[in-house]
Amino acid sequence: MDEPASYERLVFKNASVYHYMKIHLILDNKVVKLNAAQFKQLIVNALKELYGEIGAAFPFDVLKYEESTLTAILRVYNSGLVKLWSALTLLGSCSGEPCAVRVAQVSPYLLALSGNSRELELD
Amino acid sequence: MAVFVDLNICHTTDKKRLQNIIETAAHLGYSTVAVNHVVELQGKKQEIGKPKCVTELFDQFPIVQGKSKPIKVLNRLTVVASEASHFRPTNEFKSYDIIAVFPKTEKLFHAACMSFDVDIICIAVAEKQPFFFKRPPVNGAIDRGVFFEISYVAAIKDSTMRRYTISNALSLMETCKGKNVIVSSGAETALELRGPYDIANLGLLFGLSEGDAKAAVSANCRAVILHGETRKTALGIIHTMKKIQPTAERQEEEEGPVSKRAKTETGGV
Repeated sequence: MDEPASYERLVFKNASVYHYMKIHLILDNKVVKLNAAQFKQLIVNALKELYGEIGAAFPFDVLKYEESTLTAILRVYNSGLVKLWSALTLLGSCSGEPCAVRVAQVSPYLLALSGNSRELELD
Repeated sequence: MAVFVDLNICHTTDKKRLQNIIETAAHLGYSTVAVNHVVELQGKKQEIGKPKCVTELFDQFPIVQGKSKPIKVLNRLTVVASEASHFRPTNEFKSYDIIAVFPKTEKLFHAACMSFDVDIICIAVAEKQPFFFKRPPVNGAIDRGVFFEISYVAAIKDSTMRRYTISNALSLMETCKGKNVIVSSGAETALELRGPYDIANLGLLFGLSEGDAKAAVSANCRAVILHGETRKTALGIIHTMKKIQPTAERQEEEEGPVSKRAKTETGGV
């Protein structure tokens, strides 16, 4: 005989330990080329300038980086989100050239970064 | 829903660059920006001059991202005052939407908080704060609905100034406890602008709580604009002329109900 169908209700609070950020680097000078390692070094330097050695040592990862559009997806522990974000905000120059980091999306789940309702084109 | 406002974009004579900044601001999601004209009053009779008409700037104002409405541009005057005799309200002030004062001495800071007819008091970000913030003038300013402004552009440019910005902001927060604070850009180029959510996050660094940090770029700025409106008119009595126009436009211009407006609007009455 088949077992009766059962259901289970699970409620998670703050289930994700990570936050994911989608960022664009904007440069005045289009000639500058950055590879993934240089891109990460840029962010580490920004962290170091604002938070010192200890701040620069906290873990974050560049999950995906597109060299042509200077777009990246970062992963960071929840505790480091404010630090990483503020370091990116106050990043003003990249190898002497003025630059800006535009944070497009921030979410605790990677799936949410796949779509963006703000830039949705309806027609 | 609170909209995002940036109340400090440096005025430049370079029209192209100003357009570029405003376009970037609209793209980042700011619904209103104010173009800042800085005047250092030194001589006895110095002309301030009328602001440039903002409608000359664009044929068609850029659309704010996610709002499908054009961006609103205001004029703002910042008076840098180092002596009490410098600040004298004149008729020319009336042509600006927002008036700010940047007091250089403690005496002037006290006067600015307690008696000057201004909307914003600027806090030094490029130098060490030359005086302590005392509680009585700060509380007086909060009661009158005057706001304190911290601009973040110096923090992006230079690491020494970043230190001054953060330390001055923290010492202000100790006194005002996160009330009546706005954070603005002071941008001279488009690359110095940051998005509103970035600024809300940056506010945490300045010692604001999460709610206050978001209010510093939205609700508080709205209160400043409304305070400026009441100053321009006779303490909140607003007389408007009705023109015949299509109904669709008229609905957009209507403000929210009286109960929803910020307290400061009636503060002067």
